[in-house]
Formats: sequence, C-alpha cells, structure tokens
Amino acid sequence: MLVGLTTILAFVLGTMIGLVGAWRRGGLMDSAMPPIFVITSAFPYFWIAGIAIWLFSLKLNWLPHGGGYDPIDTPAWTWHFAHDAFVHAILPALTILVTAIGGWILTMRNNTISVLTEDYVRMARAKGLRPWRIMWTYAGRNAILPNLAGFAMSLGFVVAGAILVEYVFNYPGVGYYFLDAVTNQDYPLMQGLFLLITVAVLTAILAADVATAFLDPRTRDMR
Amino acid sequence: MSASSVGATDQLATPPAGPAPMVAEARSGRWGDLWRAVGRSKKAVVGVLILLFFTVLAVFPGQIAPYSPTAKIFPPALGPSSQHWLGTTNVGEDIFSQLIWGTRLSLVIALAVGAVATLLAVLVGVSAGYLGGATDGFLSLVTDVILVLPIFPLIIVIAAYEKNAGLLTLIVVLGVLGWSYGARQLRSQTLSLRRRDFLESARVRGERRSYVILHEILPTMTSLIVATFLGSAVYAVLTAAGLQFIGLGDPSSQSWGTMLYWAQSNEALIAGMPLWAIAPGVCVALLGAAFALLNYAFDEISSPALRVRKLDRARLPSVEPSSEPAEPVSVEEGTILKVEELTVAYATDGGPVVAVDHVDLELARGEFLAIVGESGCGKSTLLYAIARLLGAPMAGEIVGGRVLFQGRDLVLLEEKQLRAVRWRDLSVVMQSAMNALNPVLTVAEQMRDACRAHSDWSNAEIEVRSREVLRLVSIDPVHLHSYPHQLSGGMRQRAMIAMALLFTPELIIMDEPTSALDVVAQRSLMMQIKELQEELGFAVIFVTHDMSLVSHFSDRLLVMYAGQVAELSQTSELFDRPLHPYSQGLLGAFPSIRGPKVRLTGIPGSPPNLANPPRGCRFAPRCPSAEPRCTAGEIPLYPVNGSLVRCVLVEDAS
Repeated sequence: MLVGLTTILAFVLGTMIGLVGAWRRGGLMDSAMPPIFVITSAFPYFWIAGIAIWLFSLKLNWLPHGGGYDPIDTPAWTWHFAHDAFVHAILPALTILVTAIGGWILTMRNNTISVLTEDYVRMARAKGLRPWRIMWTYAGRNAILPNLAGFAMSLGFVVAGAILVEYVFNYPGVGYYFLDAVTNQDYPLMQGLFLLITVAVLTAILAADVATAFLDPRTRDMR
Repeated sequence: MSASSVGATDQLATPPAGPAPMVAEARSGRWGDLWRAVGRSKKAVVGVLILLFFTVLAVFPGQIAPYSPTAKIFPPALGPSSQHWLGTTNVGEDIFSQLIWGTRLSLVIALAVGAVATLLAVLVGVSAGYLGGATDGFLSLVTDVILVLPIFPLIIVIAAYEKNAGLLTLIVVLGVLGWSYGARQLRSQTLSLRRRDFLESARVRGERRSYVILHEILPTMTSLIVATFLGSAVYAVLTAAGLQFIGLGDPSSQSWGTMLYWAQSNEALIAGMPLWAIAPGVCVALLGAAFALLNYAFDEISSPALRVRKLDRARLPSVEPSSEPAEPVSVEEGTILKVEELTVAYATDGGPVVAVDHVDLELARGEFLAIVGESGCGKSTLLYAIARLLGAPMAGEIVGGRVLFQGRDLVLLEEKQLRAVRWRDLSVVMQSAMNALNPVLTVAEQMRDACRAHSDWSNAEIEVRSREVLRLVSIDPVHLHSYPHQLSGGMRQRAMIAMALLFTPELIIMDEPTSALDVVAQRSLMMQIKELQEELGFAVIFVTHDMSLVSHFSDRLLVMYAGQVAELSQTSELFDRPLHPYSQGLLGAFPSIRGPKVRLTGIPGSPPNLANPPRGCRFAPRCPSAEPRCTAGEIPLYPVNGSLVRCVLVEDAS
C-alpha cells in the first residue's frame, strides 16, 4: 500500500517536474536537474533510509524511527491511530520518493525534449496557443506515453526497493513479511506473498495499458 | 533497483530521436568518434574519473590501505582521527581500510554482472530482432516474462538458500535475471535497423547471417550496447549492496554492502560511529553514480537534441543591431509583408552557422510567392524565421533584420503579442501533416484549440466553422472527429490547410505542403490552394524544391542558394529567361513538356557548407561560367528588368 502509493506519487511528480524542466529548456532548473538526479537515483534506497532515520528521528527527533504504528497503540479505526500510522509512514514514503523520483524526471525530460522537436509542437506554437496548453496537451501527452510503458517495467525495481526500505524501518509491509518468511523458511507465507506481488505487478501493468489506451488513440484502433 | 537504471537508457529505444543520428555517428569512425564525444562531455569525464579512482583502489588495496581490513587490533568505536581517518568499528577494525578492500568486490560484481547481462541481452535481443518470426515471438515472450517477474524477491530466496555458494553464484544470478530490459531495447533497435539499406545490401551481397550480425549490426549499435552494460552495472552495484546489506551472501566477505550490514546490526548510527554507516553508502552511491553519469552522457551523445547549445554571437562573421522599437515602420500601401536584411544563425558545436544571410523580400496583398532551392539552402529556415517559429529546441536564432507585417516588426514582438497575430492573420502549413498534426487529438479538437485561442466562439460555432473549412478543401465533414492516423496522407494535408483557413488569415506560409504526396494528389492540392487563394484573397509564401510544381501557380519566384537570394523575379520571366547560372541549372534539371528534347544537365556538386561559405559568389565553385572576379568579393543583387540577380555576369547588362 505505502509503496504502491508512493511509487505512483513519485511517477506523477517526477513526470510533471521533468515536463516543466524540459519545457524551460536551458533554464536553471533544466541545467541543474540532470546531474543531481542522476546521482540521487544511484543512491541505494536502504542507505537513504538509514540516513533519514539518523537525521530526522535520532538527531532531530521529529519523526518515529520505525514500525508502522506506536507499540502502545492497538490498530483501530480512530483518528488517533490514523494519525499515528501516518506519522510512521512519512519517513519510509519520503525515502522511496526521493530515490525513485529522479528516474522519472530524467526519462520524462528526455522524452519531452524529443517531443518538443516534433512538428506538431511547432504547429501548436504557430497556432498561437497558450504555452500551458501546448505544454500539457501537445508536448506532455505525447511525451508521457513511453514513460507509461517504463512505469510498468520498473515495478520489479519498486518491489525490491520496498523490501529494503521496510526492512530498515521495520515497517510491517509485504516486503518486511517476505524477508521474515525467507529467514524463517515459512514457505506458505512466501508463496502467498509472491502471489500478492505478482498480482499487484500485473494489475499495475494493466492500469498502465489502460492509461496508454486512454491517452493514445492509435493504440485503441489496433484490434 | 531504482527506477532510473531503467529510465536512463530509455531514450535510446524511442525511435524518433535516437537511431538516425546515432547510426550515422556510430558507423563513421565508431570507437574513435565515441571517445572524442566522451572527452567533450563533462558528465562522462567525471564518470570516467570516478571509475578510474575505484579501479586503482580495487587493484592495489594492499598498497593503499593503511591496515589490514580484518585486524581487530585497535580500540573499538573510535571517532575519526589522523590514524583512523574514518574511525574504527565496534570490534576495533579500521573502517577506512575496510572501505578500500571492499572496493574490489563491488567493482568486480558490477563489471562481471554488466558483462553477463549485456552478453545475454545482445544474444537474445539481436537474434530476436534479426531472425524474427517464431524465434522472435518466443524470445520476446521469455524477455517479457522475466521483465515482470519480481526479480529481487527471487534473488533473495536464491541467495538465502545458496549461502555458501559465494561470488560466482551471485554474479550469475544477477546477470541471468538482469538482462531482460536491455534485450528489449536491443531487439527494437535491431528491428529498426533491419530495413536499413546497408543491411539490405549486405544481404543482397550474400553475406552470411553471422557476418551480417557481427560486422554490420553490432558495430552500429555500439552506443546502445554500452548503455546496456552501464545500466546493468548500476543495477548490479545497487542490488548486490542491497543483498549484502540484509545479510545475504557471505557476511565475512569484504564489501561495502557487508560493511553496511554490520553497521546496521550494531546500530552504528546510534552508537556514535556514523561514518561506519555513511562511508560505504557514499561509496556505493559514487560507483553507481559513475556508471549512471556515463550512461547519461552516452544518451546525450547519441541523441544530440538533449544537449543545449548557446549561440555564440561574438563569433558571428558580422552582427548588425536589430532595429530599434521606436523606429517608425512605414510600408507601402498593398504590401503586407516586408522582410529586411533578415539573418538567422544556428548554434553548432563548431560555432555559429549563418543559414539565412541578409534576405530581403516584399509580398503584396494576395500574392503567391514561391521560394525554391536545393535542400539545405535555408528556405525553410527563412520561412520559420518570418513566422517567428525558430528558437529552442531548434536552436536557430534571428540575429538581425526586420520582418514587417501589419505595420509591426515581428522580430521585436514578445511571445504574448505574437500569439495575437498567429493564426488569425498569419498561419502555417507544414511539410508533413503526419508529423504536424498532434497524433493524440482529433482534427476537431485541434481546430477547437486554435479557435479558443483567438475567438470567443461557442462550441457550436466552432463546430460549424470547422465543417465549413473542411468543405472548402473538399473533405467530407464526417471526418472532423477523426484522429490524424485515421485519415489518408492527402486528407491530412488538406485538413491542415483547412485548419490554416479557420480565420481566413492575410498570409499563409507553406513549407513544401505537397512533397509527401503523389504527383496526382500534388496537382489537385495545388489547384485547390490556388482556387482558395483567388476566392479568399490571402497571400502565400510557398517553399518547395520542385520548381515545375509552382510554375503555373506562383506570381513571383525567389531562388535561394546557400542562405542568400540568388534571383528574384516574375515566375514567367524566370522560366523564360533565367539570369543566374544557378536558376539556369535548376531549370535544366527537369524536362520541359512542350520544348524541344534536350539532355537534362542538372548541377554538378552540392551546396557549400554554410559554416565556411566560399568567398565571393557562393555558387562559383559549381558554376559553369565562373570567372576570377566572381570570387573577388561579396556580390550584390543587381536589378535587371525588374528582377534581382546576384551574379556579376548580369552586371554588364544592367
């Protein structure tokens, strides 16, 4: 859940930042972005997680350093518990966000730059459309198509990241239980989790395909 | 492991930007060119330096590290000091020495996994793409299945039960599970190469498959293969570190991941040994970043569009200031467009190149002006400069001159002011409607966009007007709500012209709108344009390389050569008495329907390189009647009987 949501968030944010960055070609954002994100995306998830714990919960004592909720709480549908779970989710989520977003920004930037050289973008400028409209409907909508395919393919990496981040944070998610199952040689649990992961990945691929069909009329006609 | 190791190489696989320039670059010079390009890229240099640094550490750890990595002889948990730069572990090992010894394993894993994965990717990807058919079907299926498999959990399971197997197993497992992404890209690249001429010719020569693959396909894909290698190396570094970190593999091995594992299990961050946990992580990140930076640099090298080039105005041969905004703009009655001294330069790696050089032209209301010339003579650039459609990402820039339209200088207008003029008064029809219509929007939506930007028509009014303009260009309005890919080439081109007519502008700029069509469709489209022009009274600037096409339609003809006006005169005058040797050459390049049979001559040679144009007359090197005075100095435009000709031979006549 946590990982899925964060991944989608990273994808959406990264795609938008990449689009805007490429649109303002040669601007500060565009020239600073690529090297920074090439480097951040090379950082190991789990290491960022460790540093985040050290900085935000041990040094600054802002956020809890592990677990899904406070051990003195019992899971229940109360505001108190929801708040507690949310606070515990911030650091793991941020970790995934920071490391995953770079890749999306870079690919989206590259896609957008190649789309911007297309005639239909020039045509849109010739038509005197507002830059906003050109950016989203003419450049963005075409540039996101290869990114959607990449999204489906990157899910394997997402699962990997999830396992490590949950391990570092002791966050009770699929990845955490999976590691548990491996160390305890709990085969039924392992099988169940594999099934869960596979179903999740396939669902995501399906969703990406549906989104592609929605955005690109050319794929709709191929029957 | 992170999305970027997938992402960074993605660019290479998308056909529009990548293959063409990449193939050209890779084929000529191959490794030599690649190295020079790497040397020019800062990112690549940084990546190479980091790699070199780690390589030295990995090869000579004994000489560089001050202590043995396993000697538990120092006081535990020391902070950083001059003796122990990074402090010691909880059992008294020197962290700095461990770090240096750990380099070897990480680097070996990265390189070995990179090699294994790349080899598999090339093997599967290229054979799938080249052999096609059932082989392709099977291999693609395998690739896709492996791609969506939850690889990392699998590796964990494998690693957990192969605890004693060690390094070799790790490399094989990572390599075997990590090749699929590269294989997919290599396959699509091979597919697009398959139809290229040089492969066809190799096949016709009767070369064997293995020869074609080894000598023709693989060298052209050098960039992509390198990218695959770098991508899988990043993946290997991160995945291996991750596995070691959670305690899988050999916990007594010397590696950064193992250090992180011990640091984590001893709570190094809390126990006051932060460097124990931070330093190996930084090393993993640095190594990963080195590969990723190289990968990114290769991306930029293989698709030049990704780089930003700034126009170096200081290096322009002659720069004249643009006109002042305050200057009054006076244009004769009946003239709708006046271009003065328009000069456009492109930024290239070798400095600025002037593609349009001091061009003057005037256009009367309702006139049809054709601009002709060979490819690369600057005619399209001139067109887009007039329409103010240059600039990023094309990197062409107007560096001087004026474009007077409706009493205003378009060159000086802000983008916002320009928007008001665009489409209402000045619209554009592009060369290929396939590329100029947005593939994801219907024709109706694209028309509505234009209408919304310039009018406050209601949806119903827009619909009515859209149907009207489609009927004008003889398209049945039932096609209004079609997507561009659902229309035929001729219909798309007509739809684009219809779109240009939405507001019945005063001037329509057309860039070879018929060149993608067959001869019959070309004729009928030209007739249609001419009819519409007579009916609606707009002026046309029509760029083409096909002189015969416009002979019956244009009022005046402008012949461009190497960025300059070579000749400008009435169409009939130019066809009957071409004055410039270049015009004569162009006319000699196609047959006359009525005239006597003559041998087609054409023009020998090709247009000059504009980065370094010849002195004096630019056509002189190819001119049959060149004289010494042709190359003595700049040739002005001579007025002859109402025509303008840039040739010294007519000087005597004028």
